[in-house]
Amino acid sequence: MASLAAESIVRDGDAPDAHARLAELERALADEIRKTDTLARVSEAVASSIDIDNCVQVVIDGAREISGAAFGAFFYNLVDAEGESYTLYRLSGAPPEAFASFPMPRKTAIFAPTFDGVGVVRSDDITQDPRYGKNAPRKGMPEGHLPVRSYLAIPVSTRQGEVLGGLFFGHPEPGRFSVRDEALLVGLGAQVAATIESIKLNAGALAELTQRRRAEERLKFALDSGRMGSWDLDVATKAYEASDLCKANYGRRPDETFTFADLIETIHPDDRPRILASIESAIRDGAEYDVEYRVVHPHGDLRWLHARGRAAQTADDGGVRRLAGVSLDITERKRAEERQKLLVNELNHRVKNSLATVQSIAAQTLRSVAAPEFFRDAFETRLIALSHTHDLLTRESWAGASLREVFDVELHAMAGEDRVTFDYPADVRLNPKAAVALGMGIHELATNAVKYGALSIPEGRVKVDWAIEDGVLRLIWTETNGPPVTPPARRGFGVRLLERGLAAELSGGVELTYDAAGLVCQMALPLRALEP
Amino acid sequence: MTALSSLKVLVVEDEALVSMLVEDMLTDLGCSIVGPAAEIEEALRLAGSADIDAALLDVNLGGRPIFPVADALKARGVPFAFASGYGEAGLTDDHRGATVLQKPFREADLRRVLETLVAKTTA
Repeated sequence: MASLAAESIVRDGDAPDAHARLAELERALADEIRKTDTLARVSEAVASSIDIDNCVQVVIDGAREISGAAFGAFFYNLVDAEGESYTLYRLSGAPPEAFASFPMPRKTAIFAPTFDGVGVVRSDDITQDPRYGKNAPRKGMPEGHLPVRSYLAIPVSTRQGEVLGGLFFGHPEPGRFSVRDEALLVGLGAQVAATIESIKLNAGALAELTQRRRAEERLKFALDSGRMGSWDLDVATKAYEASDLCKANYGRRPDETFTFADLIETIHPDDRPRILASIESAIRDGAEYDVEYRVVHPHGDLRWLHARGRAAQTADDGGVRRLAGVSLDITERKRAEERQKLLVNELNHRVKNSLATVQSIAAQTLRSVAAPEFFRDAFETRLIALSHTHDLLTRESWAGASLREVFDVELHAMAGEDRVTFDYPADVRLNPKAAVALGMGIHELATNAVKYGALSIPEGRVKVDWAIEDGVLRLIWTETNGPPVTPPARRGFGVRLLERGLAAELSGGVELTYDAAGLVCQMALPLRALEP
Repeated sequence: MTALSSLKVLVVEDEALVSMLVEDMLTDLGCSIVGPAAEIEEALRLAGSADIDAALLDVNLGGRPIFPVADALKARGVPFAFASGYGEAGLTDDHRGATVLQKPFREADLRRVLETLVAKTTA
């Protein structure tokens, strides 16, 4: 390159003094070396730039040094968040105020080739350029503009042809920029383009990486919150990767190795063939892998797991290369399902028994009523008495009820509670079966008292006493001040229930005495048949 | 039905009202009632020694399963049917396939079951 400058000097004149010529050559060489050094320094600075503003500043400063330009500027396009394009600039050799009062450069005849990326404009005197002063309103440089005669403008474009901006250089004197300067600065422009592009690309990649990292964190959070383990199986090598939670699902610590063989080994032997078949089918047909199975942890714990997965990567031949998915410990859910199944079964049993009880009440009420028209009232009253005992039991989730409570609900239904007095040392807990039976028995006693006995007249009273003797509940229902009583002509439902049914069910004895003063009912029921 | 008249049927049922209904049904069918037993001990005693032709067993006797009684009857060759709100689902594996009367049942259902039981013994 130095030879080119030297050649032009030799050809230019017939200088008499060889020494002077040599000195001139040496100067030119030194100048060229200086320019090359500057270029190398600037190139390096540009290449290592990680910020566009800095890169641009380094370039215009360096380019001005190389070309000897009085001013240098870079106008470049940036796209902001709204997608709008702005032309910003950086300056060298002039303070920012030098352009502050001017609008951004328009695409005038002079500027168009640069902003359109058509080519370099280099002029020894731009004011003499045929394109100069063509555009209204200013017809040339606006007043107060930096004085420019020598002019060099280089478009900065990517290899794909996208114009990133333009490098502009000026000098107040004409003829200052050589072909050589142009060549060097064009090279620098290409470097700027490559660097800006790379910075933008890096920023994009970094943003994508950040986004992916966030997405991964969110996924991990979601998996952890859902107590879900994640796993990944290489179908060909059977290499198995499991997250810490996934290992925990199989009873392994995070630091323990856990291979695919370990996994299969941990599955309950009864479930193993089914799971192996599901894995096989997911690999062969790309079928959804969605299974529930038992695992036996190394220390013997039996747990239920739910695993789901699908082909994560398909091989070129269409087969599955990787299977990935999640696993979840569902032991609690399984236990709850079992409990619910038992509960529903138990409920069904109770309902069916209750229906049989109602069937019995209906059949026996029908047998005992004097005429069919009395059936409805008698049946409904008994049905409601049964319902009251059920309400009482439901309050305690059918765990049981107390004897006094059973008396209270049945007597309350009869509106006779204030005329019944109680005397007992302690209340007695009843199991549901005993509560239902005694509830019905007490209902029959109360109904009889209200209809024919002591509670049928205002003066009548009922006394209920009970005590426990040798594990036997001895209860006496005594009616006083009632009308004279006589034994019924035929045994109705109530009498039969009390004397036969209750006695048999509760493995005890029930005796009804039709005393002239009033009815007396004595019960002797073993506690073992009563208590929950 | 003459086949059932004077048939001695052991009734094991712990609910008074249901027991009374079954007794009425059996009486209507001409059977004579053994029991009714409401407790396992009493049921076992009757199943082991009483003079019975057939038995009707409530599956759940105050929370205790009836199966020891069923086993005792089986040993004596006495035919029996379970009466249960659970249906067949409440039976143990040993007794799966046994005759089950689902509660509530009609007198006609009880008659049919007893006839089947009697036919089994005479066959």
